Amino acid sequence: MKAPPFAYVRPATLDDVIAELAGGTGDVPSGKVLAGGQSLVPVLAMRLGRPATLVDINSVAELHGFEAIDGTGAGALRIGAAVRQRTVERADVTRAVPLIGMAMPFVGHRELRSRGTVVGSLAHADPAAELPAVAACLDATIEVAGPAGRRRVPAGDFFAGAMTTGAGPEDVVVSVDFPAARPGEGFGFAEIARRHGDFALAGVAAKVRVGGDGAVAQARLTGFGISDRPVTRDVTDLVRERDLREAMTELAAEVVDTAGDAHGSTGYRRRLFGVLAARELAKARGRAHTSAEEATR
Amino acid sequence: MSAPSHTPAHHAATRPAPRATKVAAHERVEIDMTVNGSEVTLRVPPRVHLADALREQLGLTGTHLGCEHGVCGMCTVLVDGAAARACLLFAVQCEGAEIVTVEGLGSQEDQHPLQRAFSAHHGLQCGFCTPGMLMSSYDLLAGCASVEPEDLPVEMSGVLCRCTGYRGILAAVADVAAEHPDGVPAPRNCRPRTLVGRGGPAPARAGDAVPEARPPAPVEVRLPSGAPSATVEVRTELGVPVEKAWEVLDDFHRLAACLPGAELVEVLGDDRYRGRATVALGPVKLTFDGLAHVVEREGRRMRVLAQGADTGGSTTQADIRLRAEPTEAGGTVLQADAALFLSGRIAQFGRALAGDVSRRMFEQFARAVEENARTGRAPAGPVKPTSALALLAGVIAARLRAVVRRIRRSR
Ligand SMILES: Cc1cc2nc3c(=O)[nH]c(=O)nc-3n(C[C@H](O)[C@H](O)[C@H](O)COP(=O)(O)OP(=O)(O)OC[C@H]3O[C@@H](n4cnc5c(N)ncnc54)[C@H](O)[C@@H]3O)c2cc1C
Ligand code: FES
Ligand code: FES
Repeated sequence: MKAPPFAYVRPATLDDVIAELAGGTGDVPSGKVLAGGQSLVPVLAMRLGRPATLVDINSVAELHGFEAIDGTGAGALRIGAAVRQRTVERADVTRAVPLIGMAMPFVGHRELRSRGTVVGSLAHADPAAELPAVAACLDATIEVAGPAGRRRVPAGDFFAGAMTTGAGPEDVVVSVDFPAARPGEGFGFAEIARRHGDFALAGVAAKVRVGGDGAVAQARLTGFGISDRPVTRDVTDLVRERDLREAMTELAAEVVDTAGDAHGSTGYRRRLFGVLAARELAKARGRAHTSAEEATR
Repeated sequence: MSAPSHTPAHHAATRPAPRATKVAAHERVEIDMTVNGSEVTLRVPPRVHLADALREQLGLTGTHLGCEHGVCGMCTVLVDGAAARACLLFAVQCEGAEIVTVEGLGSQEDQHPLQRAFSAHHGLQCGFCTPGMLMSSYDLLAGCASVEPEDLPVEMSGVLCRCTGYRGILAAVADVAAEHPDGVPAPRNCRPRTLVGRGGPAPARAGDAVPEARPPAPVEVRLPSGAPSATVEVRTELGVPVEKAWEVLDDFHRLAACLPGAELVEVLGDDRYRGRATVALGPVKLTFDGLAHVVEREGRRMRVLAQGADTGGSTTQADIRLRAEPTEAGGTVLQADAALFLSGRIAQFGRALAGDVSRRMFEQFARAVEENARTGRAPAGPVKPTSALALLAGVIAARLRAVVRRIRRSR
């Protein structure tokens, strides 16, 4: 299947990207951002979309930024919109955010990660995608630029539904900041897919922080593939006090609302979610303890 | 699962971003890139993906297409050193990029270790997934410090094999990984050459010399060493006396006129002749420019060496022995033994088909010799190139007859 005809623009600056996106016919912008193309091109090939113009952002120098930055307080990893998943996967700086390293092998296949971008995955906002879940679990910050200027959006507010985000059709996502892990934090990540590299039937990302006394200070859990967007819950109380497996089964009934399909019913996804969540929270708690001990040594 | 660790040095991952550009939907744009070590310029509208550009503009049909939306992995090539789906990348995005396709990985004479391992482990059945599997596994093992065999099913899951050849494929990759713990050797067949595809020669770049469309005609016939691609032995009875038949064969002008699709272009002396021959077979139409050299004439025997090349990069060489003998009934038995050496696209014909086609052409040649001997004069024009339909029909009929005979015999 071939893509329908489109005009192709490759601007050199972010301002030109925004101008190209705004310059549609009539009120509706007719341009689409082309980043890695690993989700957009299949859409074109299947004739599910016919944008008049593709705006390739890969020649905008500013969007290639990839670095550890010091925010107020703790540090973060800033990933520009043109940075490939594979670059992030292999870079030493990425160790600052262990959850990215855990999730990345599940993002499609090697051959896709060499082109696909981290930001493109967030902008595409597939409900079963891994990186949006990582962003949601860590409460990453997403920077968006548009005709009205720039704004920073917390990941919790960014994902608005299946393939719908806080970035409008005239906006371009500039970068994402993932907070770096701090001592006493531990993480867990798992998913079940029909075949490795396929989108998850259900998956979880977990983050646990333990205090100086060794008790759980905070626990966050994000499920993906289970609703129309990543769903994040503070599970501190559940992890502290109760039988994890039972607590997660109860939580699953609340958060897993995706309709069943040929690959798994809603009930099956609830079971998957419950099992994965309990397992990964327990692992994250164990890693948090190890991390706290190493820090005090 | 332990993710394989990579040293980035092996990957030419970063290159300066290509210059800003703007192309209308139906406008063709010139793209410069390096493909298997050759600099090429393509002219494509934006919607053409890299796999189609490689296949249709450069004739590099080793890159296969299955799904064209990123799922099957057939189209996997190296882009700036990393495996990527060529169907999810528009050619217009590849300005300045360095592409390596399976053709660049190794050649028939000098295969890459991965190619040898796939063959040794029977890692291919129909071979449709093989280019994708090779390029994906190259990407996995290049510059890779360690890949554990138990990780291979996951690491190789990006390419689908419909023939369930996975066991052999994974065994081959595991073998090469163990043999080359510090990374597999670089691609073996990347060097500057003229890439000419079905769409005609790639347009020359401003200031560049126009690439030679046809390879310069040789003055000596050189036969390759090694086993021929096909051998043919044909005997045909002609209803003319042997002296008459031999007169035709002994005069190269008359002989050439009897060759289907052939044309004598120039007599070079020393019994060497420059000519042109066209073979049309179904959708295939090849025109060979070449040389024939009669190296032996003795009684009613002769040996001819021939060589031809067509613009698509196919070459053929032949070592032909012709012999005419009288029959008791006063006719002639014409006998030909030929060893054929084929390379390039034409080699994709199976051995059997190449043999069948050659045999049919020889039979046509023999009929023309008979005709020429009978009328005593050279025909007005050269014998028409073998008609595709007639030839195919003849080949199929002959095969059917053989099958029927076999069935009868086995009763
Ligand atoms: C066979 C296959 C399997 C896959 N499996 C998975 C999987 O398991 N998990 C997973 O997460 N993904 C998967 N993907 C999707 C893909 O690999 C990417 O991770 C990602 O979704 C797209 O990133 P990209 O850079 O290629 O974006 P593109 O395809 O270029 O863009 C995707 C969408 O986002 C928009 N966009 C991109 N960048 C920006 C920006 N900076 N600003 C505004 N809008 C932008 C585009 O306009 C487009 O609408 C799979 C893809 C394929 C083909
Ligand atoms: S043809 Fe490209 S992945 Fe199937
Ligand atoms: S060998 Fe036939 S598809 Fe793999």
